[in-house]
Formats: sequence, C-alpha cells, structure tokens
Amino acid sequence: MKIEILGTGCMKCKRLAKNVEKAVAELGVTAEIEKVEDITAIVDRGVMLTPALIVDGELKVSGRVADVAEIKEILQGGN
Amino acid sequence: MADQPTCTCGQNEKKRIIFPCAGQANTGQIANLAAVELTEEGFGSTACVALLATGAEGVVKNAKNADEVVVIDGCPMSCAKKIAEAQGIPADQHLVVTDLGVAKGPSKAYTDDDIETVVEAAWEGRGKTENKSAPEEKKPGNGNCGCGCGGKC
Repeated sequence: MKIEILGTGCMKCKRLAKNVEKAVAELGVTAEIEKVEDITAIVDRGVMLTPALIVDGELKVSGRVADVAEIKEILQGGN
Repeated sequence: MADQPTCTCGQNEKKRIIFPCAGQANTGQIANLAAVELTEEGFGSTACVALLATGAEGVVKNAKNADEVVVIDGCPMSCAKKIAEAQGIPADQHLVVTDLGVAKGPSKAYTDDDIETVVEAAWEGRGKTENKSAPEEKKPGNGNCGCGCGGKC
C-alpha cells in the first residue's frame, strides 16, 4: 500500500501525517508513506486543496485533516 | 514575478466550536491553552464556556450551527460538558485531560508537552462520541485557510 500525504508543510499537513502514521501503526499494515511538499508535484496530482491524502493513487481526502478513525476506515477499504 | 498560489489548505475543514473548561487546576488551564492552540492551528474556534452557562443567545446559536462541538474538560467532573448539555448542546468530541495521562494537581504547573498531548488527541479525534459524515468538499476559494500559516502555505 502506498500512502501519499500532500501539503506544503503547514501545521495541518503535519497533523494529517501524524494521524496517518498512527492509523497505520494501529492497523499493523505495511505501507509506504510519502510526504509530497513540492507545490508543483501537488498540482501535478490534480490536488488543489491541501492537506490531501492519496492511497494507491486515489485521492481520498482533500482540504482537511482526517482523524485517525476515518483514515483507518479508508485504509481498510471502507471509504 | 509570478503570482503566489492561493493558500487553499484546510478549506474543507469542519466548522468546529471548542469549549474548554478553563478550570483553576493545572488540568483546567491545560484545557484552555490547548483550545487556544487548536484555534491557532485552524482546528476550530474556542468559545467561553462561562458565557455559554449564562445561556447567551449568540454563543448558543454558534454552537448549534457548528459541524462539531468539541468540549475539553480538565478532569472527570466534566463541568464544561454538563454546561453544554444544559444548553441543549451535546459534545461531538469530548476530551478529558486527566484521561490523557496528565495528573490533576496539586501543583498548578504544566508543560508544553501536556498541551500538545491534548491538541494531538483533538486532531486525532480521540474524544469522538459519534461519527458524523465529512463536510461537503469545497472548491478553492479566497485563501482564508485559517490554518495558521499566515497565507504562506
């Protein structure tokens, strides 16, 4: 599983990254987590609102910080 | 020089109102400071629980219009939660500082780590009492992101 966290490094992006790390740890899944902070790389992925969460190439959350429970649901394929 | 990209972070964030108990013990003060930090980070807007207790129309209306009501109590007395409920405002997320591993008193002292513990718990949604659907996604707008970046993100 590849998880990308998109955001230019503001506090909300950091909070989303922390929540993702916690969700991955709680689920015990193996995931490659990449933080994408370059604005051009973010726009290239079609994301206009940050922070954003992409899982296996699919945009799941954009423009807000998802909480741990929501991220776990996403990672389990429920969203 | 090209225009800077519009700050768009956090535009789909829920509209949250935060009521810290602001009690006199260290844990009450931590609750208050955590609410201030959460406001600065763009999580929501802190409001006065003492004003809420008076039944002030404006704050009651704001709370009822919020997507999520977040109550931060210092200890299991849960005074802020009881005040909110007395005004017909149930908490969507209720955090109790002592439940997060911070001991109440006898000292009034606290650390930045104590505050961060509460702030982190709120962002994680650890005090959620029910699941609400995510807010409607918005399109990029006027750059009033409220994320605390000062328009630089």
